Amino acid sequence: MTRQHYSPQLRPGELPVPEFPEKSEYDVVVVGGGPNGLMTAAYLARAGLSVLVVERRHEIGGGLATEEVLFPGYYSNVHAVYHMMTDYMPLLRDFDLTRHGLTFVVPNAQTAVVYEDGQSLVLCKQIEDTKDSIAKFSRQDSRAFGKVMRSWRRVVDELIAPGTYAPAMAPMDMIEAFERTEIGREALRLTEMSPLEILDEVFTDDRVKAAFLYMSCMWGLDPSDSGLGFMVPLLIDRGLNKGICYGGSHKLAGALSREIMQAGGFILDNAEVTRIIVEDGSAVGVEIFDGREIRAKVVASSLDPQSNFLRLLSEADTDTGMARRAEEWEWDKWSFFTVSTALHEAPVYTADDPWVNKAFMVLLGCESTDAVLDHWNRVLGGQLGPALCGHATTETRFDPTLARVSDGSPHPWAEEKPQGEAARHQVAFLQMHAPYDLEGGWKERHDGLVDDTLELWRRYAPNMTRENIILAGGESPVDIERRLPNMVRGSIKHGDYNPLQMGFFRPSEDCEAGRSPIEGLYLCGASSYPGGLITGGPGYIAANSIAEDLEVDKWWRPPTHVTRYVDTYMSD
Amino acid sequence: MEERFDFVIVGGGHNGTTMAAYLAKSGASVCVLESRPECGGGQENTEPKPGFRIDPHATYLYGGAAPGFEQLELHKYGFRFVPYRSMFGFATSDGKAVNLGGRWDRQLGEQSVAAVAPPGASNAMRAFEVLEGEPTAEFLRSMFWTPPHPAHMDLEPGDLPWAQTLRKHLGAAFSETFLDMSLVEFFDGMGAWEPAAVANSFAAWYCGAHPAWEGQALPSLGGLMLVGYTSGSPRGGMHTYAHSIIRCALAHGARIITNSTVEEIVVRNGRAVGVVMSDDASVSEKTVWADKAVISAVDVTQTFQSLIGRGHMDAGFAQRIDDINFKGGSLYVLSVVCRELPRFHNDPNSFADDVYPSCLVYPSDSWENFFKQTEDVYSRKVVPKLEKEHLSMMICTHDVYDTTRSPDGYRILSPIYVQIPPTHYDVAGPDGLNRMKEDFTKAVLELLAEGAPNMTGDNIVDVFVNTPYDSEFRNPGMIAGNWYGIRQSEDQWFMNRPLPELARYRTPIDGLYLCNHTSHPGGLCLMAVPYNLMHILIEDDLVEPGGWWYPSPWYIPENGNKATA
Repeated sequence: MTRQHYSPQLRPGELPVPEFPEKSEYDVVVVGGGPNGLMTAAYLARAGLSVLVVERRHEIGGGLATEEVLFPGYYSNVHAVYHMMTDYMPLLRDFDLTRHGLTFVVPNAQTAVVYEDGQSLVLCKQIEDTKDSIAKFSRQDSRAFGKVMRSWRRVVDELIAPGTYAPAMAPMDMIEAFERTEIGREALRLTEMSPLEILDEVFTDDRVKAAFLYMSCMWGLDPSDSGLGFMVPLLIDRGLNKGICYGGSHKLAGALSREIMQAGGFILDNAEVTRIIVEDGSAVGVEIFDGREIRAKVVASSLDPQSNFLRLLSEADTDTGMARRAEEWEWDKWSFFTVSTALHEAPVYTADDPWVNKAFMVLLGCESTDAVLDHWNRVLGGQLGPALCGHATTETRFDPTLARVSDGSPHPWAEEKPQGEAARHQVAFLQMHAPYDLEGGWKERHDGLVDDTLELWRRYAPNMTRENIILAGGESPVDIERRLPNMVRGSIKHGDYNPLQMGFFRPSEDCEAGRSPIEGLYLCGASSYPGGLITGGPGYIAANSIAEDLEVDKWWRPPTHVTRYVDTYMSD
Repeated sequence: MEERFDFVIVGGGHNGTTMAAYLAKSGASVCVLESRPECGGGQENTEPKPGFRIDPHATYLYGGAAPGFEQLELHKYGFRFVPYRSMFGFATSDGKAVNLGGRWDRQLGEQSVAAVAPPGASNAMRAFEVLEGEPTAEFLRSMFWTPPHPAHMDLEPGDLPWAQTLRKHLGAAFSETFLDMSLVEFFDGMGAWEPAAVANSFAAWYCGAHPAWEGQALPSLGGLMLVGYTSGSPRGGMHTYAHSIIRCALAHGARIITNSTVEEIVVRNGRAVGVVMSDDASVSEKTVWADKAVISAVDVTQTFQSLIGRGHMDAGFAQRIDDINFKGGSLYVLSVVCRELPRFHNDPNSFADDVYPSCLVYPSDSWENFFKQTEDVYSRKVVPKLEKEHLSMMICTHDVYDTTRSPDGYRILSPIYVQIPPTHYDVAGPDGLNRMKEDFTKAVLELLAEGAPNMTGDNIVDVFVNTPYDSEFRNPGMIAGNWYGIRQSEDQWFMNRPLPELARYRTPIDGLYLCNHTSHPGGLCLMAVPYNLMHILIEDDLVEPGGWWYPSPWYIPENGNKATA
């Protein structure tokens, strides 16, 4: 039964308080207040356009969600945790978000791997530190890593990172352009290789290879498929430069909302859009579930293709090509199962190098490339376990503000006052790849899988005992979809990373720089080029296109890494 | 870099953010520092289970009569309102279920009452509608949206603004004896039907007043009338209301910084000049200076005991602060995800789905039941009682009328409030209750299932609980887990709140003002404390609002006299 919302027949003026109007009009209405929607809105609001962001949930931020899932008293970053593009995101240069208390902590010890025999590997932001650790396993691999990073850093810095903030090039154009430089030719060579082939070319030690395989493919690249090999340098380099957003990832959304409001924009939450209004072939506004109508010169949607083209637009409105594309859209090949915990003390991993306990991310169960591949293959077959591998982060190690509870009393008059880190409780999670359609059903297996995950954790960190765990809760791909319905089937990136859905083809070759084939409808979400993972790319690119099309002054200038890239590769 | 503002506000809860909106709209530079990752304080909604939104604290729009809606133009910032067809009802353990309806469907209540109430019983069942429409708003504004009068003016109770407005609107029905009555006496005097009077008294108690204390009859009614006046909630929950306030403040240039706990209010030469945050605050410079004033939006006790410290207080004042009483207002809050709403007495028609009372008291049987529970809370019996005759609950559900709260196919009862003794009077220690959390939750759910047998087994999908002890950690300003932070007795109410010398929001420290739930008129997210404090800040030449501002017609300036009243 679908519930109706109650609307009594009120006499005019009888409503006790004035309400947001039934009809309103803006220059730009942004559908979806996730990271990209907010970025688009922030740029355009400061450009002097009147902007309204409409968000279905009671909180903006989408994947920038920091929520009290371990209730009461513990906040967790339920989606985005690892911010990989903070060095490159134009947003962080164009806006002074530090004035809103926004800061990223980028630890040197980035990703550690702990093994059952007590050995460990610590992959660091500083390449030399990483080399030192790899050398424990293979001097040759250590050297190879140092060498390959000389080239891969350039691939990222000169091509992929700047390309994130410029419109996608058509494949033939890109090949022609990249052929112009040596580093471009290296990127093209890698593109034709699969992640496994690339890693085989560089590394010999299986454990080292397993660690980099996990890093390369954890966000959804297929280990054996060629065509997206250029992303391996990106995901490894960025995987070693990830930061945590202090105060929770939601703080980035909060900072953006502050910029939007201070530039004269508006945000309407609890406002699920039910229809994109199209008149004479042009998008002219949206309707929300309680009947309110919002008109705008342009509509920028950060939703997934099926929501946009199958649900919010009627068949008559949508270009049949886009409807077909949406129908065929492939969701992420896997999603995540995450167990969040509130703890008396942080997990302490048994390892020969205690530095692993300061690492941002710790890989568990990645004993070999086979172990990693087996886990993924089972996931692709709808299974999870019995052997598991995943990654863990103790969020409060870098951000104590997430745990609100301490041992001892919070009373100011209490004799026993909470003291220091020991008294403050900890928040940590262990996350692993998981299928949406799980054999045996999520409902039935959920609790057992929480136990299995904690068991895996305890194997590497013996202090993860029942006594240490205050609260634990699991979120499955089904839960992800229920919290954020745009992440259909738990697709955190709004759609699979495969060659047919990436680059120029994301979401379709008919959409150029965020412009959909429908006049006035722009696409600014993770299902648009370059994709998800809080790069800020789709939002930035769409903001540029909208500003150009509405002929408003672009108050921002692209970062130099982007202009250099555009000059080198995108001009004739 | 030095950070300097006209006003620094400690705490980004309802009062702190509303104050920021008022001040920023007046053109002042304002900084709000909030300890938690999200502002709003008790005005919060969380989603511990995907798709299900709970209300850990505030739940109804009590503040519909607030001038703030017009003055701050919250509708521009997304404020929407959902009227509820039925606001209030109650059920007794001996099989009665009464739907009192609400402002938007009076017939519903009248029919249900006529069917159940014994002949001859007064119709005082709908105490929340003593007045109707605009007179209600006027009465409420005179009671809640008016600063207490200056301490040197010795007004008689009958001279108080709300006594005057009620006298005006009730005409011959008004009696001076109301002023000295308790709510219980008021109902007895009307010959009200006991279960209805008990239900209204429980509701008034949860609105903050004590129905058994003399002189509290009209304030108790005032609390009920706040709910009756709006009979609904903000679309999407109370946090959306918070968002509209926060966004208004931002739009007018306020800086609002989260994850930044204030540890100290800096006092120099007897004057509050800034604040210092703890080392883990999210900003780099941990000291922020206030050129005009520091405004404390955390409770009075912590303001003086923790943020100011004894270095700036004499022993007499410090003792008066230490003696502030927290009895009442500490809530054990349950949120229950279920498949179907409670069917009282297994009667499918007891409360039909489309007219289900948003708020209902169970069990609402007798004064005996009422006094057993209130005495537990107030008389320092310290250990919460698990026996059923000591328990009652207020069950709130919003998703009958607001579809944003839970997915189709489910219902969510949130919050279910059970008032209990403040944790810090517990002989087993402040976490004593937390150690019996499972037993207490079980007792409450068993009691509910006695009245509504469907509330067992598969119908209960999930239960979330926050105790007052949990609340102290979650909501640092909610001392003793008490949502009004201080007892609502006569000596801690109106011009005596929180202490007579602090009643006009000024403090013995120059440049330090109070703007929180321990000042008049208290909690409930009314936008009232900041509105009232604005009068005082204007009086002290600290702020000059524009033409959008209007003061309370009953406001008496510091140099005013009795004639003004």
